[in-house]
Amino acid sequence: MIEIKQIEKIYVNGKQSTKAVGPVNLSIREGEILGLVGESGSGKSTLGKMLIGLEPPTSGTITYKGNPLWIKKKFKRYRPGEIQSVFQDPQSSLDPRMRIKDIILEPLLGLPRAERKEKGNSERLKQLIHRVGLQEEHLSRLPHEFSGGQRQRIAIARALVTEPAFLVLDEPTSAFDVSIQAQILNLLKELQTEKQLTYLFISHNMSVIRYMCERVAVMYKGDIVEIGTTHDIFENPQHPYSKKLLSSVLSVTDQENGSHAEAL
Amino acid sequence: MLLEVKNLYVDFEGMRGRTEALKNIRFTLEEGEILGIVGESGSGKSITALSILGLLEENAIISNGEIIYNGQNLLHLQKKERQKLRGKEIGMVFQEPMTALHPTMKIGKQLQNCLQRHRNLPAKEAKEAVLQALRDVHIDQPEQVANKYPFELSGGMRQRIVIALAMSAPPRLLIADEPTTALDVTIQYEILNLIQELNQKRGTSVLLITHDLGVVAKLCSRTIVMYAGEVVESGATKEILHHPAHPYTRSLLDALPDSVPPGEPLKAIAGETPSLLRRPSGCAFAFRCRHAMDICKKRHPELTEKAPNHHTACWLEGTAVYD
Repeated sequence: MIEIKQIEKIYVNGKQSTKAVGPVNLSIREGEILGLVGESGSGKSTLGKMLIGLEPPTSGTITYKGNPLWIKKKFKRYRPGEIQSVFQDPQSSLDPRMRIKDIILEPLLGLPRAERKEKGNSERLKQLIHRVGLQEEHLSRLPHEFSGGQRQRIAIARALVTEPAFLVLDEPTSAFDVSIQAQILNLLKELQTEKQLTYLFISHNMSVIRYMCERVAVMYKGDIVEIGTTHDIFENPQHPYSKKLLSSVLSVTDQENGSHAEAL
Repeated sequence: MLLEVKNLYVDFEGMRGRTEALKNIRFTLEEGEILGIVGESGSGKSITALSILGLLEENAIISNGEIIYNGQNLLHLQKKERQKLRGKEIGMVFQEPMTALHPTMKIGKQLQNCLQRHRNLPAKEAKEAVLQALRDVHIDQPEQVANKYPFELSGGMRQRIVIALAMSAPPRLLIADEPTTALDVTIQYEILNLIQELNQKRGTSVLLITHDLGVVAKLCSRTIVMYAGEVVESGATKEILHHPAHPYTRSLLDALPDSVPPGEPLKAIAGETPSLLRRPSGCAFAFRCRHAMDICKKRHPELTEKAPNHHTACWLEGTAVYD
């Protein structure tokens, strides 16, 4: 579905240049959830941004269903609304002065008129808001009237309104407590199955990645150092960084303070 | 016993009325132990830490309770006396190291100030002590790091510096509030090991506040679970993680992504934490609880000993319902 070839991102500041990504090769298959893990500054978010049109790559090509996404510095929408995103912090990704209804409908503004009408009709909007676990009466409210978890549901509804095929999810649950995290992960997984979506799931949380993804790519200092099935990466990591990452994961079942682990 | 918090109530006076942020908090911390407080946002775990440190906001009202540190009730001390305790007797480490460091003062100077203040060292000895303090937190090139500003260091390095500052007195008690939440997992692991080492080598007692059950599993001998400003369960960490007595603790463990096989839906906890402005009269968890009975919504359960040294605030009998 997506082919990333020799992609590089270099930031230039005066005489200094910093390589954030690459060169990276990666393909994302239709219908899969591909996990992207790495430490802060490893370039995982930058890679995500190049897929949704927020950062042009310095060199290399990205094709979406065979069509190039970037022509020079211009992002080419093969079909508007086909690629969407959900970010970490719905506090900052929702305009505080807009009503929920307008927030959810906003992505339709980039669509042709007929499609905009069809996808923005009130029946569909009602279905969508229910689907993400909110009520119709919420549509006329403002973001500050909602909790963090509810705001993320709104951000998900906004991403879905254009009926996308591919979503970049950049740390979609990192700002939440585990109880809310579980609600959002369940919703994302259900939606993926129901609508046969493809996800690039960016996270630093290994247990979230393990639960959500079929394949995992490990990024380290701008490069993808390892890619494989979730099972292989977790059971038999090859790259030293993947090994270190996995050995640093804390588990509630193995305790060090004097007691031996027992099954929950 | 180094610290005892007794029946502590903290309210906040705000525009929309009084928020009961802490309700009847009680626990003890023994000399030399690492005690964990675990809870989600809004559970009151940070307010508990700030109450002990005497750093609550102006609009906070401690309406009842005692905080006994080393035999004296901290709430009876003057502001000046409490200030003397902070840093010297009770060290603190917070989540975001950048806000704890002076942005335009070199690391060495900041540490030197701290050491001179707490240990009355002459300038020359203080310089050597700075390097030793940096070595103690496993910084390999102390001379170079001492000559840097905070912005030149990574998050993990900064948190090491903050720990070095907190340990400079050295304190008897270290309060660490989400010390690794802002850090990458690999760095988190190193910082937790460092805290453990300081505890074991120097006997520093630690009160560790976190939202992460994995962190208490690694570090803490005993754990307190907080929900909506109350202690709902306390006991040995091993007991809490393997035989949780409170449905909330159980639900938290169940909600972790590794508690179900991939492909099965996660066991999310329905609903959200209640508003502390209108605290329900019964158990604060009742309306999210799978086991709620009539009594749970009517009468508030008190923290009682259900098994030796294992306390829980729940109307359910024992832990039979889970086993």
